[in-house]
Amino acid sequence: MPLVLLRVDERLIHGQVVLGWGSALRPDRYIVVDDQLAESGWEQDLYRLGAGDGDTFFVGVAEARERFPEWRAGAERSILLTRDVGTMLALARGGLLAGESVNLGGLHHRPDRKQVLTYLNLSDEEMHQLASLDAEGVAVSARDLPDAARVTLRSLLGS
Amino acid sequence: MSRVPRGALWSSFARSFLIQGSWNYRTMQGSGFAFALLPALRSIFRGRPGELDASVARHAEHFNAHPYLSNLALGAVVRLEADGEDGDDVRRFKTAVRGPLGGLGDSLVWASWLPAVSLAALALYWLGAPGWLAVATFVVVYNVGHVGLRAWGFRTGLAEGRWVGRSLGRAALGKWTERVRSAAALLLGVLAGTVLAGTGGLADAGPTWGVLGVAAFVVGDLAGHRLWRPTAVVVVVVVAVLATWGWAS
Repeated sequence: MPLVLLRVDERLIHGQVVLGWGSALRPDRYIVVDDQLAESGWEQDLYRLGAGDGDTFFVGVAEARERFPEWRAGAERSILLTRDVGTMLALARGGLLAGESVNLGGLHHRPDRKQVLTYLNLSDEEMHQLASLDAEGVAVSARDLPDAARVTLRSLLGS
Repeated sequence: MSRVPRGALWSSFARSFLIQGSWNYRTMQGSGFAFALLPALRSIFRGRPGELDASVARHAEHFNAHPYLSNLALGAVVRLEADGEDGDDVRRFKTAVRGPLGGLGDSLVWASWLPAVSLAALALYWLGAPGWLAVATFVVVYNVGHVGLRAWGFRTGLAEGRWVGRSLGRAALGKWTERVRSAAALLLGVLAGTVLAGTGGLADAGPTWGVLGVAAFVVGDLAGHRLWRPTAVVVVVVVAVLATWGWAS
């Protein structure tokens, strides 16, 4: 299982991911998929601070789609992060992530979003994107920390 | 950077102590962040009330970091706004910086500095210092670190702007955290030893406490393995040695 976690979390690399998931899954590296961050050195510097000793790299969606099979087959254990549902969906298009699980970890309040769980706020557009992810064969569920309860997509969209 | 007057900077720094004064689940430190920035923003946007309003509204949005280290973000945002950076860029900066500042601050302050200084004050008390001296030592030493960290953060942020990541990397807060934590582990050993070996300690407590102690150890050993670290081993060994010594004497 070289891709040990695929997660949507606005905060990307932070305490919950590095301490919570990192100590449970022991990843060798963090892969952040984001077109904007892949081009921005000073932002990468800031996010890397939170990763501790973990190897961290930033790639755009196109490159990530190209390299995904290599990551899935490789020996290194990776945690893949995006900061929005749309990027994860762009990655999953064409069944690329079929059979994988995607974890929803944290989306903050925004005027267009509705609170679904304490750590999860979703806009109507994001709800549709999640349904599309599901249609691409991805198992979507929400869970902030490894020992928290897993909330399925069905109960998220139903609320 | 266009100069922000010293008075406005001091005023923002003073307000930063209240950054969690209106903490809430929606924006977390957001409104406190805007409140602290206000004096600096007023001088940056003097004579441009529309831009001032927009900037204050932007900074009242969601933000959260460790309350002491959020001063790094405050200082950097003053710099970015004074340099006339684009509002979206400033927002991206805050989004990127909140995670590391939260994580680094939690482990440095809540998990290391606070327990270390508390243990030092307790050790002082158990070694025979009067109670008021132990309390005064705690208040003074803890706050030298606390206010020092806030001041360092604010100045570093002002000096570096969006490049604070480099200074944070150089400051190696992780190494400091390890040092403070080792000191805390040592103090815990000394304190436990002082308590156990002293009059009224485990030696005088009788078999009930001995049995309870062993039970607690077993529970810790079975359930506490997630927290297992080399420092924990050192603490347990120090406590065991001192307890045996207290029992024998």
